[in-house]
Amino acid sequence: MKWLTRLLGNRTDTASLDAALRDAIASWEALAAPELGSTHFETRYVVVNTEATGLDLDKDRLLAVAAIAIDREHLSPQDSYYAPLEPDAATALTNLLTFAGKGPVVVFNASFNRSLLERALDERLGLTPDWTWLDLHWLLPALYDEHIDGPARLADWMKAFGIETFQRHHALGDAWAIAQLMLAAQARARALGLNTPRSLADLEHSRRQLRRHG
Amino acid sequence: MPAAASEMLVGASSDFLTRFSPFNRMEPEALAFLAERATLAFHARGSEILTPEMGQPTHFHIVQRGKVQARQLGPASVTDYAAMTLGPGECFPIGAIAAQRPSTNAYVAVEDSFVFQLPAEDFLRLMQMSPVFQVFCTQYIASLLNQSRQQLQSTFAQRAAEQQTMTTPLGQLVKKAPIFVTPDSSIRAALEKMSEMRIGCMVITDADRKPLGILTQSDLLPRVVLPGIDLQRPIGDVMTATPHVMSASDSAYDAALEMATHGVRHLLVVDSEGRLKGVVSERDLFALQRIGLRQIRSSIEGADDLEALQRASRDIRQLALNLIAQGIGAEQLTQFISALNDALTCRIIDLARAKHDLYGIDYAWLAFGSEGRHEQTLSSDQDNGIIYVCPEGADPSALKSRLLACAKKVNEDLAACGFPLCKGNIMASNPELCLTLDEWKGRFGDWIREPDPQALLNATIFFDYRVLCGNERLGDQLRAWLNRTAKAYSNFLRLMASNALQVAPPLGRIRDFVVEDDGTIDLKKSGARLFVDVARILALRADVASSSTVQRLRQAGTRMGMPAEEIAALIDGFHFIQLLRLRSQHLDTEHDAPGDNRIDPDTLNELDRRILKEAFRQARKLQLRLKLDYQL
Repeated sequence: MKWLTRLLGNRTDTASLDAALRDAIASWEALAAPELGSTHFETRYVVVNTEATGLDLDKDRLLAVAAIAIDREHLSPQDSYYAPLEPDAATALTNLLTFAGKGPVVVFNASFNRSLLERALDERLGLTPDWTWLDLHWLLPALYDEHIDGPARLADWMKAFGIETFQRHHALGDAWAIAQLMLAAQARARALGLNTPRSLADLEHSRRQLRRHG
Repeated sequence: MPAAASEMLVGASSDFLTRFSPFNRMEPEALAFLAERATLAFHARGSEILTPEMGQPTHFHIVQRGKVQARQLGPASVTDYAAMTLGPGECFPIGAIAAQRPSTNAYVAVEDSFVFQLPAEDFLRLMQMSPVFQVFCTQYIASLLNQSRQQLQSTFAQRAAEQQTMTTPLGQLVKKAPIFVTPDSSIRAALEKMSEMRIGCMVITDADRKPLGILTQSDLLPRVVLPGIDLQRPIGDVMTATPHVMSASDSAYDAALEMATHGVRHLLVVDSEGRLKGVVSERDLFALQRIGLRQIRSSIEGADDLEALQRASRDIRQLALNLIAQGIGAEQLTQFISALNDALTCRIIDLARAKHDLYGIDYAWLAFGSEGRHEQTLSSDQDNGIIYVCPEGADPSALKSRLLACAKKVNEDLAACGFPLCKGNIMASNPELCLTLDEWKGRFGDWIREPDPQALLNATIFFDYRVLCGNERLGDQLRAWLNRTAKAYSNFLRLMASNALQVAPPLGRIRDFVVEDDGTIDLKKSGARLFVDVARILALRADVASSSTVQRLRQAGTRMGMPAEEIAALIDGFHFIQLLRLRSQHLDTEHDAPGDNRIDPDTLNELDRRILKEAFRQARKLQLRLKLDYQL
């Protein structure tokens, strides 16, 4: 995908951005990488979610981004971010970077969300964040197999935990539900001795491997 | 742009909260304040959210989803439930966080639960900014207060139940014809009957009236309401089978023991053929104790020697214990104690007069200090004196020696009956305190005109006099003169006021209470006395004749235009401190240690601490009033 957009030449050069955005990106880039070996309690996870015109990666466009931080295993409504890409996609995405910092980043269904977001970031800001991505799509069935023993839809997980949100299929509305699932995931992970972002990443990795070979 | 996101999420939180009381009635800005600051956390099933060991709660919690169970820990149980489950919209801890003290409950998630939490300081701000929330929390705490009284009752129930007076056969105790149904009656019919007859339990019998089971009010919640049982089902399905049964010839004592052993509140009484004769409840046994009051009174009045009076004195203490078990308030309790002690003292004087003829002498026996204020506790020592009139032509010194000789006998007998001799010799046998009306006026007048520290101290003891027996008019004459004179000397009242403000309520800025080196608070010196001293001054100013602190506050306060609810709050505060004093004295007496008015606030349960704090605040309010009045 990346080579195609580059070839087509509609990739934005960072140099063409506003000075303010360039500064923001520079300070984001200067941020230290998160310590993946610290505990959940000490880690600021950022739940990231997207809203697109549809579910086809090739055809559909990113409409809005949302993010909610989980700090000290708590969700605070104040610590959240939402922006539509219109009219100013570069600012919307730069602010997302500022909000999310260096992660780790939590998504539900990375294969779609991550791809969509990385493409937009590359197109608009000319960068690909080196975030550690944690995908609840894989993690939840590994942690809560008594509920659902395999990858399932967000709606199923919401139902399993009785989670509600104020607006489904809205970037922030779904992010609110995903963030609550992440709270549950953290608690169970801690109970299983998986105390750090790295251990969650390892769990996800092994799950994906199992799936591939099984 | 970030504002847009948080607005949406705050909106989601407040939408959730408005589905529940009291949040649905809360002022919009208060609700917004709450929703903005509440964060969401997850508590896995079985995890502890808040425990007493965690100390002062840092957060107020509102269940969003799941179930949290409040479990009582330790002996200081505040409420009458052992465990209570909280669901969505319900919050905790209210009392502990409002009082800024560790919770008495452990809160444990019994399901995977999502719970909002609000920092403690925001909770307190919310109480300030939202009258609705304030009322909600206050009512919640008030309901705990009610339960606390019940708890007080049960603490003493065991000992009350072991009274020797309880030899009445149960057959005599059962007054009402029994009410019963057969096991095939519907639950609905049984409940309707219970409600109609206003009874706390329903007995289920067979056709021969032989008891098969019982259903009490406390069974309703777990067995009928919560499981949502169909009320058409037969009552036999939910009753307690094989109920506790006693024979009509068993004593009340046996019944109390049975109740205590099995933790039941109702016992079925059957006749010799095993047929239901009636139900005896815990309350009936308490009612039985009340006979004690009349019994003691008549035994005092009929006593003709010291030994009989000593027995009566022990009975008074025992009765006081029983009265506490019945949940009686401090005001009535001290009134009972003081009425019986008065009767005892009068009888002692009567007996002494038989040996020391006082014929022809117009006199009155005075009680001073706490006894004079009707606020005698069980460990008060004697404070008494005599006022008399020397008739014309009589030999003053011969008359006085007759009075003193009689007084000496009375003081000794009182000591033998458990009222220790006064270490400061404030006793009628002291020639300095056996004075004529004119001499008392002279004594009081000296103190008022020259209020040196000793005079002010004397005023706090002797101005609270009361005629215990003899000619009451002598006391009234002295009172009228005293109130008139004190009012005329405003400097005296001012100095009394400044004296009364020497001790501040032991409220801390950082901690709840300021304690002394041994970690205790002296409830007399730093508690009751704060009210007593101000009340005395107000009474002198408002010309109130009563010597009781409550009456002084009530009457003087009304005369001075204090709002009724403000007066009521002051009196409640005073009563609570008195109740705590009595309680600690009772318990101490049981352990043969002298009641010394000291209390370690850390040993109080959460609720009592909170009420005590409020009582001290009332004392501070009263002092503040005095400060303003006298520009001190």
